[in-house]
Amino acid sequence: MSCLMNLYETYEANKDFVGKIDYMHSGQSFTLLPVSHTTQTAHIEVAVTEDGSFHTAHVIDKNDRDTIIPCTEDSASRAGAVIAPYPLHDKLSYVAGDFVSYGGKIKDKDHEPFSSYINNLKKWAESPFTTSQVKSIYTYLSKRLLIKDLVAEKILWLDENGQLITKWNDKYKALCGDKKPDIFSSVASGQDSAFVRFTIYSKGKSLQKVWLDKEMYDSFTHFYNEQLSERDLCFVSGQWLPATEKHANKIRNAGDKAKLISANDTSGFTYRGRFNESHEAASISYEVSQKAHNALKWLIRRQARIVDNRVFLVWSIHNDKVINPEDDIYDISHLSAEMEDPSAYTNSEFANQFKKAMDGYRNKLDPNAKVNILILDSATTGRLAILYYRSMQQNVYLQRLADWHSQCVWQHDYRKGKDKQLLAYFGAPATKDIAYAAYGSKASDKVVKGLMERMLPCIVDEKRVPKDIVHSTFYRARNPVAIDRWEWEKTLSIACALINRQEYENNNGRGFTVALDEQNIDRNYLFGRLLAIADVLEHRALKSEDWRLSNATRYMNEFSEHPERTWKTIQSSLVPYQARLGHGGLYLTQLIDDVAAKISYQDFDNQPLTGKFLLGFYSQRHQLYQKKKDADSVTETN
Amino acid sequence: MKNSYEFVVYGPYALFTDPLTKIGGEKSTYQIPTYQALKGIVESVYWKPTIIHYIDAVRVMNVIRMESKGIRPIEYGGGNTLANYTYLKEPKYIVKGHFEFNMNRPDLESDRNEGKHNSIFQRALKAGGRRDIFLGTRECQGYVEPCSFNEGSGFYDDREEKIYFGTMVHGISYPDETGRNELEVRLWQPVMNKGVIEFIRPEECSEIRKVKEMTSKEFVLADIETADSLLDALEKGAMR
Repeated sequence: MSCLMNLYETYEANKDFVGKIDYMHSGQSFTLLPVSHTTQTAHIEVAVTEDGSFHTAHVIDKNDRDTIIPCTEDSASRAGAVIAPYPLHDKLSYVAGDFVSYGGKIKDKDHEPFSSYINNLKKWAESPFTTSQVKSIYTYLSKRLLIKDLVAEKILWLDENGQLITKWNDKYKALCGDKKPDIFSSVASGQDSAFVRFTIYSKGKSLQKVWLDKEMYDSFTHFYNEQLSERDLCFVSGQWLPATEKHANKIRNAGDKAKLISANDTSGFTYRGRFNESHEAASISYEVSQKAHNALKWLIRRQARIVDNRVFLVWSIHNDKVINPEDDIYDISHLSAEMEDPSAYTNSEFANQFKKAMDGYRNKLDPNAKVNILILDSATTGRLAILYYRSMQQNVYLQRLADWHSQCVWQHDYRKGKDKQLLAYFGAPATKDIAYAAYGSKASDKVVKGLMERMLPCIVDEKRVPKDIVHSTFYRARNPVAIDRWEWEKTLSIACALINRQEYENNNGRGFTVALDEQNIDRNYLFGRLLAIADVLEHRALKSEDWRLSNATRYMNEFSEHPERTWKTIQSSLVPYQARLGHGGLYLTQLIDDVAAKISYQDFDNQPLTGKFLLGFYSQRHQLYQKKKDADSVTETN
Repeated sequence: MKNSYEFVVYGPYALFTDPLTKIGGEKSTYQIPTYQALKGIVESVYWKPTIIHYIDAVRVMNVIRMESKGIRPIEYGGGNTLANYTYLKEPKYIVKGHFEFNMNRPDLESDRNEGKHNSIFQRALKAGGRRDIFLGTRECQGYVEPCSFNEGSGFYDDREEKIYFGTMVHGISYPDETGRNELEVRLWQPVMNKGVIEFIRPEECSEIRKVKEMTSKEFVLADIETADSLLDALEKGAMR
């Protein structure tokens, strides 16, 4: 899995971000965690003076609770009755020496969580890697006075027997000054499970908070590194380093139990047979595991797309935001400032423009940089699988994107611009939109994520677009009766884009343009044009009335199956509209004759039409409306 | 040389499981075959305890592409589970290798006849191998055909830049080939240059990890039935 190696290198290249808090769109904070650290929600903050006595404490405000805390392998994965204290900040039951005397319940009388906590802290405070902060906190906590001090500070509350109130009840109001204390609203499960974090108060110096201090991170990392188990050959880095068998979870989000590397199955013969134990099958060093997982978590929160828990992640080691292959041109132009208005281009101009934009973007990058593309998903709650991994040279990647965006192109007008106006633009549709075009706007996320995964090789490896996707989109696009108008228009332009790409695949790099190709005498294309003219003619005649489906679009599905037979019906239903238009309809009537004349005698039959018929339809309709608009603007200026 | 061979192997899918993903059950493939996987393919074509196969180089013909599938593995304790496996799609490799005599088997000295083994290997190759060929795992059926190493055009033929794959498993060393009483796993850092990966020999791998104690299986000549005696027995059976 050189994927892990690349994640490890990403961590090394972005060390400056360690501990820096950033925010997701949702407002949640995230950071690149230091090695041997994790995040926890703290409820109480205790300030200790430098000489190790109590200073102040307060209940932490809701928006400030996320805390980076040091952790060991055992504490990171502790559960149930296991006693595994975090090294510094932890729950009351671990950090308070007077927990039991205030009625705190512990599972095993002989093994007090506090003694195991304070022994570990002592080791850290006495190690050569210690800092003055650790010593101060250790000095204070070994006095076993925490709850007493917190009660005096009116953070924690006792009932009439001098025991901690476990569950809030209005009858305690009298004891607590006639209102419900903050601690009960911030810790849902009662005072005794409050999480405490410590910091140092100094009169003279302005000290950094303990959990934001880089020196503290390094102090613990070095201290813990000394205690790690024996060395083993790391399958990722190829070096002999302290190994670990416990790997991170919470990769996609805070509630995510799935692990990328796990080995819980000793009976299912996933690795047994040749090997007896999981560490015989593979081993990975603590350092690599920590750094790679931390980098992955950071990247996912920073720039991944998540659809139905499937993670789509594209990144480059050197912290550049990378163009996402799933995006359409609007999202991309967002990234590269050089991209001008993407609406008004034809294929070749567009391709040039796109390349220029890419080049502008490319110049900022290291030419040897690599782009990594990763898809993760889990079939069960406990394990995360790598569904797709690809690492490629940045310029190759950009070239592929440029090819995709100049081959799978058509004119779309379903995107809303900055001012919420529908904007016509020219380019490749986003893979998500392709999914909705192929399976309908109500397609479930499960289907969407599957399609997104299947489209990726088409973009980054120049593979052919799967036929079923093109077909499905085509069948939906030729049936306007079944769906709303806006959805049909969207499906139509996406179908055109896909069919155009198919054309590039079949014809060694020659495709269609939106501009009408009058020289094209392909049967499907011409039939498409005929249908478009009939559609426009009817709408012109109905100008003043409300918009409704024309006969031509109504018969579209049937027409694509039996063009000759259906054309007869459509043409005869056109007669009244032609009559209504009178002389004004002459041009369109002539155009019908022109186009029909181009279809050779033996081609005018009931053979079903292929996708190209949509291209002819779209281009012809586009041209006629374009012409109309030009004529309108001419009259206006007059 | 009378002990070398070249052939093409291909199939619809391959799964050269990355050991890190194997232990959890969500198997994901390496991007290229390991030395050991190719050795397994060669051994399926033709192998005798007399010889050890060595893979010299592999040429990657098709673009390296992955496809994931939802799999329902059967649990040994009954029932089933769900997993995602990630396969290589449409792999095709041209392999160059040779065989050498296994000097840890002095008892088979009389069988050391290069020309004979080479002829048998070539015949077996022409027939598509003596045993089933599979690319990495059992569900990925593969096919072998005689082929020369530089034949045809590959996707990476004209790539100027070298492609690095990080640290990978090279293969597994068994006691009967190393002479040491332990099972070992070897790691290395492969590099692909214009589609070709030149393998180092197992003993050149510097990163070797002992997995566990293991002894080689004992064979004595008395266990082995010679072709002549088998033919005798068959003929006697036919006479009856």
